[in-house]
Amino acid sequence: MAGSVQTAARRKGTSLRRRQTREFWLILTPILAYYSLFFLFPVFANFLISFTRWNGISGAPRWVGLFNYRMYLTQDYPLIVMNTALFAVLILVAETALALLIALLLNQQIVARGLFRALWYIPTLTSAAIMAQVSLAFFSPYDGMINAVLKSLGRPIVVWTTNAFWMRLFIVLYSIWRGVGGPVVLFLAALQGIHREIHEAAMVDGAKGREMLRYITLPLLRPMVIFVLITGMIGSFQIFEAVMLMSKGGPSNQTNVMLLQIYNDAFMNANMGVASAGAVIMAILLLWFSLTNMRILSRGQVEG
Amino acid sequence: MYAVLIVGSLFMAFPLLYGFFGSLCSFEEFYNSPLFPFPRHLYLENYRVLFTPSVSLGLWVANTLVRIGWYILIPGTVAVFAGYAFARLQARGRDAVFLYLLSSMMLPGIVYFIPTYIMLARFPGSGGNNWLGQGGHGFINEWPALLLTGWVNVYYIFLLRQTYYSIPSDFEEAARVDGAGTLRVLWDVYLPMLKPTLTVLVIFQFVSLWNDYQWPLIVSAGNPKITTLALGVQRTLLSGAYIKKLPPSTTDWPFAFALAMVATLPTVLLFLWLQSYFVEGVQGFALKG
Repeated sequence: MAGSVQTAARRKGTSLRRRQTREFWLILTPILAYYSLFFLFPVFANFLISFTRWNGISGAPRWVGLFNYRMYLTQDYPLIVMNTALFAVLILVAETALALLIALLLNQQIVARGLFRALWYIPTLTSAAIMAQVSLAFFSPYDGMINAVLKSLGRPIVVWTTNAFWMRLFIVLYSIWRGVGGPVVLFLAALQGIHREIHEAAMVDGAKGREMLRYITLPLLRPMVIFVLITGMIGSFQIFEAVMLMSKGGPSNQTNVMLLQIYNDAFMNANMGVASAGAVIMAILLLWFSLTNMRILSRGQVEG
Repeated sequence: MYAVLIVGSLFMAFPLLYGFFGSLCSFEEFYNSPLFPFPRHLYLENYRVLFTPSVSLGLWVANTLVRIGWYILIPGTVAVFAGYAFARLQARGRDAVFLYLLSSMMLPGIVYFIPTYIMLARFPGSGGNNWLGQGGHGFINEWPALLLTGWVNVYYIFLLRQTYYSIPSDFEEAARVDGAGTLRVLWDVYLPMLKPTLTVLVIFQFVSLWNDYQWPLIVSAGNPKITTLALGVQRTLLSGAYIKKLPPSTTDWPFAFALAMVATLPTVLLFLWLQSYFVEGVQGFALKG
């Protein structure tokens, strides 16, 4: 009697298991098929194309070995890779530091907190392309606002667009303006997640403002900082609209970045091989950066 | 410290305020006030021009809304089902499948853009192509190029999975005792409880497709009939002088500002209306991961 109940229960368990397995694969098979066609296959294809010379339109790809990768060591390509890394690191570090500071300030009891919070997030909701194009209204050499102000002060105007330093600065400032909102929201959320009791306990132990920040708040924010830096790195490496529409990569490629160069190689010059090689290099650099980042940042995590 | 907040906030607000007030200025008024454009009387001509046939704003918005609807429906449905499968269905290999899907988030989109573009351009039998995919332009500059990619969004699958986890399974078990199948359970039991997460999905898809620029630029730049908002606006921004038949020597910035304001307003209003959902969506991975 007891035995047959057990068998029935086991049978019921098995049929449940079987139903779940069947439904799981019923749902996942089409998703995986789609995903393989529009993600896995293109990634492999991109890798293969990077060893060929091909316009992507007609004829067959011709195998050229490492030619496209060697290309990335010549002409302006090394400069373009350097620019990308420089922009990515500069923007990310400045943005994260600023966001942390602003979140700490917005976490205090201040007037019009909601207004400030909205203000810091709103630029993130704008279109990167539209705002980059509009930003010319400030630094355009002959009809821009900055030169108009200089002129009205009786100062000589500066042709910003031919000056690599200024264009880099404008691109960095624009990218921070548009990108800082997300990290501010994340840090604010993390700060609000720190329980009041922890601060109260530290206060009882005699911690004051600066000490509290140094020994309590910042260490507790550490996981969020790591998260922001790693996900932010992937985003900031893909800087595109700002460069394309503000400086077009100029003057003479000094602000050019990988994504813009890949876009030009692939879709303007129909050189799919070099473009694919660029994409592979970018992916490798990103993975390497992310892993190094993770290793450095998670060091000392155990004690902390 | 508060100086940083004040100066920083000015830096954040200045471009938008400058643009807003600039858009209310006439061309002459704008160029006569170098530091800050302050209109002495209300001037709406820049906005009026936007709604004349010389700017295809209506078409761009319509095309963008088609994409928004599509990209809420398809990735939303995929995420509701896949999230359920990952959270509630026991199957061997489940975690490996999930990791496989997650792995895409470590790579920049450009590593699959180029072959995807070629695949669309060489799609057999489409857009003048023969059965080998040669001879025509395929789906490039056609609607399918703007609708075929991005059906599986791993971030939303993740968000939905976490939401299913947070719902006690008692509700599902009760429905199953009453004889409900999986589809009925999803529809009657879970869908009402998924509403907050689906709201996050809807607003993030709205904002990201409203502003989507890169992919439309790559696959649809040659067909004005399917131009979407960000691309159309970016390309028209600097042609105010042409549209208003002014002498072509100087950029008509007030026109550009008005156009940019109109293009930005919907996402900002959406944010002001549903702020807490935006915060929820931004946090998603960070706090639940």
